Amino acid sequence: MGGLAGFWEARDIWRDPLLASLLAGALLGFLGVYVVLRRTVFVSAALTQLATLGIIVALLAQERLGVEVEHPAVQLAVALGFSVAGALLLGTLEAGRRLPTEAGVGMAYVVAGALVILGANRLIHAAHDLNSMVFGNAVAVPFEDVLVLAGVTLLSAAVHTVFQKEIVFVSFDRETAQAMGLDGRLWSGVLFLTVGLAIPVSARALGALPVFAFLTIPAAAALLVTSRLRPAFAVAAVLGLVAAGGGYVLSWFWQVPTGPTMVALAAIFTVPGAVLRIARGA
Amino acid sequence: MVSVGAMGPLVRLAGAAIGYGRPLLQAIDLEVAPGDFLAVVGPNGGGKTTLLRTLLGSLAPLGGRREAAPSLRVGYVPQREAVDPLWPLSAGDVVLMGRVRRAGPGRRLGSADRERARHALERVGLADLWRRPFQKLSGGQRQRTLIARALAAEPDLLALDEPTSGMDPAAELSAMDLLRDLHQGGLAVVMVSHRLEAVANYAARLAFADQERGLWQVGTLAEMLRPEALSALYGRPVTVREENGRRFVYPEAGGGRAA
Repeated sequence: MGGLAGFWEARDIWRDPLLASLLAGALLGFLGVYVVLRRTVFVSAALTQLATLGIIVALLAQERLGVEVEHPAVQLAVALGFSVAGALLLGTLEAGRRLPTEAGVGMAYVVAGALVILGANRLIHAAHDLNSMVFGNAVAVPFEDVLVLAGVTLLSAAVHTVFQKEIVFVSFDRETAQAMGLDGRLWSGVLFLTVGLAIPVSARALGALPVFAFLTIPAAAALLVTSRLRPAFAVAAVLGLVAAGGGYVLSWFWQVPTGPTMVALAAIFTVPGAVLRIARGA
Repeated sequence: MVSVGAMGPLVRLAGAAIGYGRPLLQAIDLEVAPGDFLAVVGPNGGGKTTLLRTLLGSLAPLGGRREAAPSLRVGYVPQREAVDPLWPLSAGDVVLMGRVRRAGPGRRLGSADRERARHALERVGLADLWRRPFQKLSGGQRQRTLIARALAAEPDLLALDEPTSGMDPAAELSAMDLLRDLHQGGLAVVMVSHRLEAVANYAARLAFADQERGLWQVGTLAEMLRPEALSALYGRPVTVREENGRRFVYPEAGGGRAA
């Protein structure tokens, strides 16, 4: 049995991965608006690398040192530790007198990337799993991971609803926000804490490549078609959700890798906005 | 010693050393009183912005101390270039940010906040531009919007960093006239500028800052527009002339520094 009927018959297989993809797409799409507008796209890239590095460190500790980290929750906790620490450090960096913040972010990205390759090279048993972690293949996602992702999504939604005005002010004009009594480091830290939590839990479901893509492409597409901030958040979340869910379903029918299909679909969503901008000459 | 707050100064630096890691300027004594209009003038890179940040408490002094009235409310206007025009915000959205601190963490901005913000935009002459995208405003309109945001905080002290930088002469005069009106309405104003001529007709007090030569002087307009004080700033003889009720500053050609 093929086609839609076969797809429906197999719902027990795709239900949890699809749910995880939808949650991750919406969450990352929303957060991506901050990532793009704060010009910190490479912070998200570095955090994705750091989360992957965390998983590799956990796997290496298990293989080489006999540390018991086989349970996915332990691996996720290590990845979260790397990502959140990196988010709080990189997201709250202020331009120094000698080096721009981009230098620190760039170094974190390439050093974490190099360590991922070196670590993967030393893995024996888990090397195969790593490929889907990095390039994304949300074929099988345990229900526990869906619950964690739902928890992080709810937490992020709550934080960004309650403290939106502080986070927007500090993100838009940190110097003035601080001069007028807001704690720039605190509110940037709150924002990047949610980004740092979202990346590893999403990366476990989608893989690193789609996570980086969803923190950039839906927001870019939304900012091309909207001229107000609130609608941009909503449009980016919806585009992330549709690209993740649509990409998953298409990859099922076309029998192609899931993560890259999601990214390709998300990229198509930038076309209307780009055409609109070109037509307006903006 | 006069206490800070109550009827005393709003903010004070006492024997302060300012800078990032190493002192740029030292032994700074400076008070800003209610209703003051102080302009800090000096060359680019002279330490003016560092001084302003230290005065406002964004940057801790490296030595000496800073004291501020406990309930001091600051309205800050950054250099226009520091504000990213990429953000899809309306002029009204930007002005409303001035209400964030007053509303407090986690509390939504209400109709009273919107009313204050609209009033602030009206005070700077942009009442009709509430919905206009910030990125589509002219340079002068953006500057006024940023001033409106500062005013929306209902500040005791309005602090501005190079508010007329990059403006054409007409826009510069218009912005300075606005600051004069706000000051005459009772607001204390502190601004930094690299152009003495832009502020010499408006400020009540002047300070000269140039970290390269360790220059720090502060005094009334009359004291600071004396040829000796101006020569210390420009590093060359300077003449000040009044024409049609306005002061014009004429440094002699050759050598010296820009200010």
